[in-house]
Amino acid sequence: MTLLVGALTIGLALALLALGVYLAFRVLDFPDITPDGSITLGAAVSAQLVVSGWNPALATCAGFLAGCVAGAVTGLLHTRLAINGLLSGILVMTALYSVNLHVMGRSNIPLLGARTVPDQLAELCAPLVGRSELNVFGWSVPAHDAAVLLGFLGLAVATALVLLWFLRTRRGTALRACGGNAGMMRALGVDVDRQIVLGLALANGLAATAGALLAQYQGFADVQMGIGMVVWGLASVIIGEALVGGASLGSLLAGALMGSVLFRLMVAIALRFGLDPNDLKIVTATFVLLALVAPRWMRSWKAARGARGAG
Amino acid sequence: MLVLTGLRKTFHAGTPNEVRALDGVSLRLADGEFATVIGTNGSGKSTLLNAVAGTFLCDEGRIELDGAQMGRWPEHKRAALVGRVFQNPLGGTAPQMSIAENMALAARRGLSRGLAPALTKALRAEIAERVASLRMNLESRLDTPIGTLSGGQRQALTLLMATWLKPRLLLLDEHTAALDPKSADQIVRITAEIVARDRLTTLMVTHSMQQAAQLGTRILMMHRGRLAHDLSGDERARTRSDDLLARFDALRRRDQMDEGVAAMLRKQHV
Ligand SMILES: Nc1ncnc2c1ncn2[C@@H]1O[C@H](COP(=O)(O)OP(=O)(O)O)[C@@H](O)[C@H]1O
Ligand SMILES: [Mg+2]
Repeated sequence: MTLLVGALTIGLALALLALGVYLAFRVLDFPDITPDGSITLGAAVSAQLVVSGWNPALATCAGFLAGCVAGAVTGLLHTRLAINGLLSGILVMTALYSVNLHVMGRSNIPLLGARTVPDQLAELCAPLVGRSELNVFGWSVPAHDAAVLLGFLGLAVATALVLLWFLRTRRGTALRACGGNAGMMRALGVDVDRQIVLGLALANGLAATAGALLAQYQGFADVQMGIGMVVWGLASVIIGEALVGGASLGSLLAGALMGSVLFRLMVAIALRFGLDPNDLKIVTATFVLLALVAPRWMRSWKAARGARGAG
Repeated sequence: MLVLTGLRKTFHAGTPNEVRALDGVSLRLADGEFATVIGTNGSGKSTLLNAVAGTFLCDEGRIELDGAQMGRWPEHKRAALVGRVFQNPLGGTAPQMSIAENMALAARRGLSRGLAPALTKALRAEIAERVASLRMNLESRLDTPIGTLSGGQRQALTLLMATWLKPRLLLLDEHTAALDPKSADQIVRITAEIVARDRLTTLMVTHSMQQAAQLGTRILMMHRGRLAHDLSGDERARTRSDDLLARFDALRRRDQMDEGVAAMLRKQHV
């Protein structure tokens, strides 16, 4: 049960990453892999600040801002220096590895004993869950864990709602339209380059916040923790789209959130039943690959069957 | 008023693919004037419109619109003064967004876009009203993604978007060319209505001699990056589509003659 609660909590923290990946890949139609570096950046900045006595909520906000800067740099490389989008992300991600090491001063910062955002959330939610152990379907869950879970849920939902609000404002709709039809937006007086920079800044700010929350929840920041996380976020987005069936903006954001939790849960179960943790990345990559090609296979299979049926 | 002075644009300059797409175009278009632009394929019609809209910067020449020297402005800045409809019906709208959202984007053309909601009740009502004026029964489908509509419907909506805020200049680039004849007629009707209602200064490129003869107050014929003919006033009023075809033939014959002379000279001197 602790395992399950842990998986759900981490899934909710990473939902912010999924929202960021959704923003870059789906809304902006920009294949941004900067988050592999900005997740760690958010974790490193917030961990360093928490250790040096900052209020953890503020430290997490600082992580968000650092991620925004990283995303903006990717956007500027692409729009100002005309560097291919994928390559811009690779360059910034690579550079961030050194930046992160400098921020952290070593490859790992333990946060044991420090007051963190999960602690703050647990205090906030304690009145809701009571003081003693909770009984959920016959399993007992420590009240502290339940409070943290509830807090992360509130945080993830609030972030999704703020993003939904933003994407429906004048600026947000312009941002969405730039991903769908940049030429049209120029003809409507929008500086598309600036929108791309803004969108990537936001996306990486979200990813960095996910990293900050993850580090504080698991009790350490590690320079390796971002590797492969874009693909992870993409998997969450794809699962989310399958869950909600590609409907309105609101349900797609909700889908990304649920997708993240579900994917983390599936992974936890797979690990519990003997999946070698070393194989996690290849399984994730294979999953995304299948999700990308399966629809095409299905179509051609259906077409072939239709043709045979007709002939 | 639009004043173009000596516009030149060469693509791929200094390479074997060099194209002189605009070769010294000067033009004055008075307020409320509606000029149709015709010319053979590759004569520079789209390049002229793109030059004015700011898709690229010209090599030489000046572009002045209502007193503003905008020849060096980026495209998005010129868009505050210029409304556009493209040839491709997919070009003017964001497919995954609804009719209402697309209209809301157009309602802020060239204005700041802050954090106010894009769609308010009042704006929706106005959108419904203006969309209804198209008489295409789209006002009941404002929340439909625009990508699911036909080319003609999208082009009509794009026209509405380009003119939602009255532009100082309206640029139409073969905006009926990709449509079936019935939709094309419908778009021509809507274009004429909107331009007349708002007295818009308009440049409309068309491939159809009928449209050129039927619409507008002036006809510009382009050839090899230059304005070959400029018909206005009585001359314009007397012009039929047959006359335009005759002028096309004359230009073509002159080209062939030029080529013939060039070939002769080559033979004599090589
Ligand atoms: N962006 C571009 N890059 C290179 N060549 C171009 C570009 N746009 C137009 N051209 C060339 O300029 C010439 C004029 O093209 P265009 O203005 O599109 O003609 P049309 O009168 O048919 O609209 C053509 O030879 C075309 O190939
Ligand atoms: Mg053309």
